[in-house]
Amino acid sequence: MALLEVEQLKVHFPIRGGLFGRKAEPVKAVDGVRFTIEEGQTYGLVGESGSGKTTTGRAIIGLNPITSGDVLFQGRSLKRIVRGSNQSFRRDIQMIFQDPYSSLNPKKRVIDIVAEPLRNFERMSGQEEKRAVQELLEKVGLSPDSIHKYPHEFSGGQRQRIGIARAIALKPKLIIADEPVSALDLSVQAQVLNFMRDIQKELNLAYLLISHDLGIIRHMCDYIGIMYKGRHVEQGTTSDIFGNPQHIYTKRLLSAIPDMDPNNREKQLQLRAAVNLEYKEAYNRFFDEQGLAYPLKPLSETHYAAMPERG
Amino acid sequence: MGDKNLSGWRIVLKEIVRDKMALLSLILIVAITAFVYLTSLLLDQSQIVRVNLFELNKPPSSEFWLGTDQGGRDVFGQLIIGTRNSLTIAILVTSLSGLIGIAIGLISGYFGGMVDNFFMRIVDFFMILPTLMIVIAFVTTVPKYGIMSFTLIMTAFLWMGKARLIRSKALQERELDYVKASRTSGSSHLKIMLVQVLPNLSSIIIVSMTLNLAANIGLESGLSFLGFGFPESTPSLGTLVSYARNPQVLESRWWIWVPASVLILVLMLSINNVGQALRRAADARQRLG
Repeated sequence: MALLEVEQLKVHFPIRGGLFGRKAEPVKAVDGVRFTIEEGQTYGLVGESGSGKTTTGRAIIGLNPITSGDVLFQGRSLKRIVRGSNQSFRRDIQMIFQDPYSSLNPKKRVIDIVAEPLRNFERMSGQEEKRAVQELLEKVGLSPDSIHKYPHEFSGGQRQRIGIARAIALKPKLIIADEPVSALDLSVQAQVLNFMRDIQKELNLAYLLISHDLGIIRHMCDYIGIMYKGRHVEQGTTSDIFGNPQHIYTKRLLSAIPDMDPNNREKQLQLRAAVNLEYKEAYNRFFDEQGLAYPLKPLSETHYAAMPERG
Repeated sequence: MGDKNLSGWRIVLKEIVRDKMALLSLILIVAITAFVYLTSLLLDQSQIVRVNLFELNKPPSSEFWLGTDQGGRDVFGQLIIGTRNSLTIAILVTSLSGLIGIAIGLISGYFGGMVDNFFMRIVDFFMILPTLMIVIAFVTTVPKYGIMSFTLIMTAFLWMGKARLIRSKALQERELDYVKASRTSGSSHLKIMLVQVLPNLSSIIIVSMTLNLAANIGLESGLSFLGFGFPESTPSLGTLVSYARNPQVLESRWWIWVPASVLILVLMLSINNVGQALRRAADARQRLG
């Protein structure tokens, strides 16, 4: 049984407009997404801004309401639990937020921030709690003495690691990482990402990694899903996607990865032009009248793509 | 943002010390409040408000430091007790209306949507009521009229501004990720509101409460001046000033109403000064340095 199964997840936001707040056509932020995550694996969600990757992550953890479809965690549906009073599922699913500045309460000390999940789920004495927080801080590479500091006394990378310490405090099975490093500079990005991998091995974590940075996704993920306008356009293992992209949108996305070697500049330019031409020519075949992707079709055991109907 | 490393209270202190007017004001407020509350413990209110026909309208002397009024009552004693009553009312009204305003504003802003709509329509309803008319009608109909009933009727019409202020700030705060992080950490809504969001609103709460305190002193005095405040048996700053409605008192017996008027002015200005300093301390862009 997979750790997390997302079944035809749809998140629509109603738009009220005009006289008397009539309901207009809703915004379909996520429109029928399905994927599974196995224990200890990393699943990457990639897509441009507004493609619904963040909304998907937030819907799984219950921060956005699910319109239809379902999310199964270890076979249990989260849809009903999220609304209810039994919040115990939160022990096993935690989240790392994108912005390390707004995700830590500026009026709280580090010990209060990191211990918040512990206080909700574990019965610990003050001493035990302090020791647990110090251990967590050590694990994320921060000085255990800093428990009484405030968030503004830390740099962006350190803050993000405080956020990670909070997320792993309960030893969850799944962490939803919503662009965990996009607010950090490049040197710190690598540091935080490698650290996330170390923790993954240590705790046998599964990650749902949401990012628009293909380099990070390639470095981190076992499986990748490419999203466009709330739908998956392609899904597969990292080698499927990077080695054998089938959908024109994926091809175009991959061709946008910058090449470090200046000798390849001409080649890269031509490749991009060719892909762009193909994209324009094939656009009507690959997307329906509303510009949305078709349902996924299996190409191999692991590889799915939203290929157009042929014939 | 060089002050970021200082804790909140240090910033406030620094700001007040920098602003000499605010420092002077703070000392004045503390001195007046301490003096008034301590001395009034020694004074006997029923003794002071007793009419004494042998000492009508005496100018200031060594026996009556600020003379007597047309009932032969010691003005100085009335001033002390009156200031205490006025301050007590102002503090009670401010904190009670603050409490209600914070509770409703926080709930309304944190949950948003339907809840927000519901509470804001209630606020709108209270806003359109003619406050002064209702207070006056209340004063004239309620037989036993004292500090508590006055406080409650004032509170009933003064919490809306605070509720709106807190709501608008809470609406901003709830969009921040730390609220969502608390949610995913398993905290309940109540806990998030009180433990996470409220501390982030503390600066505007303190600032607006301070400024409201000054306004509420004025409000009580104003109503008493119009004759809808306290009876003469409960002196307040407003009742002393209201004696000046008598032209004779206004013209030739300045000692009855001038001290109370000056005290109202000094208190309101001082509290306002401190409030402005607090406001600057809460907003980094306005700080003096």
